Formats: sequence, C-alpha cells, structure tokens
Amino acid sequence: MKRNPVLDPGLERELELLALRGGFRSSEDQAGNLFHWFRLGSPGDLPAAARLLAARGARLCTVTAYDPRREHDHPRHEVAYHFDCGGVLVTVTAALDEGEPRVPSIMTEFTNADWNERELAELYGIQVTDRPTPARLFLDESLERGAMDRVIPVSVLMNGASSSTLWERIMGERQDESGSLVVHEEERG
Amino acid sequence: MSGGATAKTYTLPVGPVHVALEEPMYFRLDVEGEIVRGVELGAGHVHRGMEALALRRTLFQNIVLTERVCSLCSNSHPYTYCMAVENLAGMTVPERAQVLRVIAEEIKRISSHLFNVAVLAHIIGFKSLFMHVMEVREIMQDIKETVYGNRMDLAANCIGGVRYDLDEELTGYLLHGLDSVRGQVEGVHKIYSSDRMLLRRSRGVGVLGAADARELGVVGPVARGSGLELDVRHNAPYGGYALLGVEPVVERDGDVHSRAMVRLREIFVSIELIRRCVRELPGGPTTVLLPEIPAGEALARSEAPRGELVYFLRTDGTDVPNRLKWRVPSYMNWEALGRMMRDCRVSDIALIVNSIDPCISCTER
Amino acid sequence: MLDFLKILAGNVFKGPSTDGFPFTQAHTPRRFRGKVHLNPALCVGCTICRHVCAGGAIHIAERPDGSGYDYTLWHNTCALCGLCQHYCPTGALSTSGDWHNAHPQSEKYQWCERHFVPFLSCDGCGAPLRPLPPALTGRIYADNHVDAARLMRLCPRCRQIETAMHAREASHEAQSGS
Repeated sequence: MKRNPVLDPGLERELELLALRGGFRSSEDQAGNLFHWFRLGSPGDLPAAARLLAARGARLCTVTAYDPRREHDHPRHEVAYHFDCGGVLVTVTAALDEGEPRVPSIMTEFTNADWNERELAELYGIQVTDRPTPARLFLDESLERGAMDRVIPVSVLMNGASSSTLWERIMGERQDESGSLVVHEEERG
Repeated sequence: MSGGATAKTYTLPVGPVHVALEEPMYFRLDVEGEIVRGVELGAGHVHRGMEALALRRTLFQNIVLTERVCSLCSNSHPYTYCMAVENLAGMTVPERAQVLRVIAEEIKRISSHLFNVAVLAHIIGFKSLFMHVMEVREIMQDIKETVYGNRMDLAANCIGGVRYDLDEELTGYLLHGLDSVRGQVEGVHKIYSSDRMLLRRSRGVGVLGAADARELGVVGPVARGSGLELDVRHNAPYGGYALLGVEPVVERDGDVHSRAMVRLREIFVSIELIRRCVRELPGGPTTVLLPEIPAGEALARSEAPRGELVYFLRTDGTDVPNRLKWRVPSYMNWEALGRMMRDCRVSDIALIVNSIDPCISCTER
Repeated sequence: MLDFLKILAGNVFKGPSTDGFPFTQAHTPRRFRGKVHLNPALCVGCTICRHVCAGGAIHIAERPDGSGYDYTLWHNTCALCGLCQHYCPTGALSTSGDWHNAHPQSEKYQWCERHFVPFLSCDGCGAPLRPLPPALTGRIYADNHVDAARLMRLCPRCRQIETAMHAREASHEAQSGS
C-alpha cells in the first residue's frame, strides 16, 4: 500500500511560526490523507504565507470567505485559503477586522486567486487590497456588495418549496371520498 | 462570420445566448481579421445562490441539494459533500460502501466523458459521429436508470455510506453493458485518433503548455492533456480509491485533441476499475449509523469527471451548516481559455470552449 | 473514414433505437425512482421523512380531536431523491415505477398522497397512541419472552409499569421456587 504524502517539514515549521498567535492543527481522513490548518495572527501575514507556499510549488485550490454569525452575535468575516501541497491540503485562515473587512491580494504568487478574490468581494463585501479593483464575477454591478448576507432564495421569492401559504392551499384543496372538494376551515386559520 | 481576411480590428461578442454554447457564458473577443487577439469572460447568467441556500438546509437536505448543482457530475457533489461530513465527524465508512461509491462515480465519469467527446464531433459538423457516440452513451444511461433508478441523479450517497446495493442480476446487467460500451468505445477511439477531418480540426488548436497549465492551476483532463500528472484519485487517494489505486492518463500536446484523447482513454480505465470493484466487492454493511456531528471545519476533495472538486464544511454543532463552500473543477479552467484562444481562428472558438468541458451551472452555483 | 462507414452501415441495419411511446409501453426498470407512495399501515408518525425531505414535500399534522394524524405528500415539490425511503425505519415509504406526473395546472394542489393514520387508545390509561407495525415489533422483541402484542397496545408509560410488574413477578417466582 502506498504511503500518504506528508507536508514538507520546513514549510510546516515556517507556517507554524506565522500561526503562533492564531493556532494550528492537523487532521486526517479515513484513507490517511493529511489536512493542515493554520490560523494567522493577522490578515497582513497572508502574503508572507502565500510566498512560502508558492516557493514550495503549492497550488491554490480555492478561497472560502464566511461570516459565522451564529458562532458570535456580531458580523466578523473570516477568509480561508485552501492549498494543495503535494497531495496535502493546507488551509490558511485569517480573521478580518470587524469594522472594515479587508484582505491583501495574493495574485502575485497565485494567478488563479483572481476569480476567488472577485467572488469574495462581491458575495461578502470584503475589500481586496494590493490589486486593481476586482471586477464583478457573477453579480451585476447594480447589486450591492455582500449578497450572501441578505440573499433571498428564488424558491421563497416564487412562493414555491414549502412556505406555509403553499401548504394552506394544498391542505385546503382536498377531495373527500365522493370526489367533491372540501375545505377544512380549521386549517385556514 | 463576416470580416474576411482583412487586418481590421473589431470586437466580437459571443454569448450569452449563442448557437455554439450549450450554457450561457459571455465572451468579448478582440478580433483582428479572423484571428482572436484578446478574450474577456463575463459570467453570472445562471447564478442561483446555491451556497446561500445550503446554509438554510439540514445536513441531510444538502445531500440532495448538492446532487443538483450539475447534472453531468451529479454524483461527485454529494459524494464529496458526504466525505466532508464524515471527515468532520471522524466516521468510518464501511469498505463495501466505499467500493460501491467508486462504481457510481466511474459510471458517471464514463457518461460525462462520452458526452463531451460527442459534442466535439457535433461542433466540427460531424453529426453522424455525434449521434453515434451519444448512442453509445445511451447504454450508460440505461445502466444508471436500471441500477440507480434515474438517468442523471443516482442518489447513491448518504452520510456514512451508500443508499444502494448490487445484487447478482444487476451486476450481470452492469457488466454486460460495460462490455458492449468497451467494444463500441474502442471503435470510437480509433476514429478520433485517425480520422483526417477530426485531426485537422483538433490538432494544434487551443494549445495550453504545461507551464501555463501549472501557473493557472487548471485541473482534470485539461491539466492531464497538458502533461501534468494531476489526478486526486492518484495524488491523494480517497475512499475506495485508496483501496484500488489509479494511474493517471496523461497526454503531452495540450491541444483540443489531447484533451479528447485523455477523456477517451480514461473511459477504458474507468471500465477496468468498475470490473475490479465488482470482482473484489467486499461484504458487510453499506452504511453506518450517524453519530452526533460536532462543531468544527473539514475539507474533502475528489476527482470529478472534470477534475478536482473541493468541499469545505463548517458546522456549529447544529444540523444546519454554518458554511458550505464547494469549488468545482470548471472554476479553475475558465481562465485557461484566454491562453488557449490567443491567436486562434474565430471558427475554432466553440471547439476550444468545449475542450475544457465547461460546466457553467457548476461554476456559478 | 472507412472505420466510420462500417459503424454507419451497422446502425442502418439495427433500425431506430427510440421507444415507441406513447403508442407502446416505455420500459421502466424495477428500481426506477418515480412517485413516492406511503403505506399508512406501516407509518408510525416518527416524522424523520419530513425532517430529511429536501423539497419540503411532506406535511404531517395531528388532528385537534386526537383521533390520529393527516399525512400529506405533495408530489409537485418532491425531488424524487428517495431520502425518505432510505431513512424510513418501517419501510412505509417507497418510490414507485410510476413516472406519469403530467397533470393540468388546475389540479396542482390536489396532486398529493393523502392518508389519515388513526391513533388507538392505550389499553392501560386510554391515552392516544400509534402502535408499531407487527413486523417491527417482532424484530425488536425477537430475543425477549414477553407478550409483545399486548405491550404494543400500551402507551410508553403504561408499558414501563407493565414491564416493571412483570420483572417483579418473575423475581418473586424465582425466589419462591428456590
């Protein structure tokens, strides 16, 4: 059986230094694939982390921005950068400033960060610095930034899926055994 | 197209609705005579906000939601999503379930590759070949409908295992179907590697060099067509693939033809994989009981028909995720079109776009 | 080109490969996931189907008079994913081979699977209860020497009392026997 790849020990140590304040850990899946997680002290350390990873031939897989509102009652965005480093997945997370969420671009190191940065700018209203203003990727210019925080699913807009109005209609229009329509008043309330 | 061979420069819009595009994407091309000098992409025409929707649904309901992100790789989405939940909860998926997942995944891969290769023939105007390859794909569609109950959405995965099992009758049907697909694809492979018209239209067209491919971070058959040995099933074997072992299929030329050949050759690999799975199918349960899903974050990735698919899940101890993000393979491959189309002819645009096997419903989610 | 001509000629002799539907029956495989059906005799009202349903197609409501509950499954928002079938503990839900889902707009709200599932009253205290189907009861009490049929006619509280009495009697018997 093949051995699972491990992260370059030099890179691991240097990323750990950047994550001293934020913390780091690793996990593995059932097949023994490794996942490393580093939390940066500040988003300003991101370009340094990107340079370290780029020097070791890492590939940027994707970037996830999120606002785990339910974990703390006020808005506070975090951005997680996921890299493939020789078969090991490395996630570098940065918690952004509350008032003015901004994150430096890593496009110099990773060309393919372009779309990811444009997406997190339009979906979460996060400012990406050190690059030309990211043009819209999916959403039209007429829409306000930060759509993920106030999006209304189309099924709700169209009164579809399982809204209570809909169920009132279904429960209201029922046929009795003789085939005629009966309306149950108590369910109309 | 008008314009002729004059050296006049003009802007040519292609899409979002265009005869050569199956899905809406907008291309703004700077054209000099018949040669493309610059490409700009405009996306967002089918953006559905599915990631926002996923945050309003339970972990169970998201199995179904992710299966509907895209039809051609509809099995890869719930598969990878379930793996992310399993990684988070530290679940052990039984071996039988892992191998059954590989069977479902490879059946989808064969159909997806056949579809893309067929559309290549359709675009260059070889309609009878297009119809023939689609007819071969129909055998795979029948297999999906018979074994899983639907022609596109297999509903094979659940958190902790699979929702289907194979019996003797269905195994026989599956193997018989694969035998006939194999025979037919051998013929198709021969045509694609020798037909003069096909070669003239696809060789040396839309070239993406290995260095460019590495820089842009492309994945899947696009990367492998440019000589990169990039296959998650090989580089970071997950689930059943860790038990089986897969060698990546690589072509060196980086053109439209290379990418088509990668897909055709992968069909043989997939058929062989399914046969091995059926032969070595371990006994035991097909699913495990669901434990409490703790608060935390987890990643999972798989090799979908179009390349690496990544799922990121963040939970807070409830059964509604705090964030579910997925990065589809097509997302990485779009930017490569700029390099591929540099100095190509206007008539090759549709061909080059199809060669990355783009999935717009996946990209925009 | 010659290779392709051979294939072409072969296909000409095979004739059309499309189904003759609607003039002939279209083939429907045994496992086809069509319209979902509920067998009310097996339903115990655990509501797991409603919890996992991706489309929110299932509505379960107890009648105000406590006589039972109404089970409604609206086919129009069912995604035919089969999750309800997979998670149903008693096998009450199943996907059928019926894919004939076309119907006029005027009938859309009636395009439902509707069942009334009655409650029985507990033999002990008269509280409303929904007994487990016999097959499931048999499985649960397979290794137990109790009168499962009687236990199933009792509400959880009365069942506890009954089991406790039974255990006390058994221990008395064991003591007097020795």
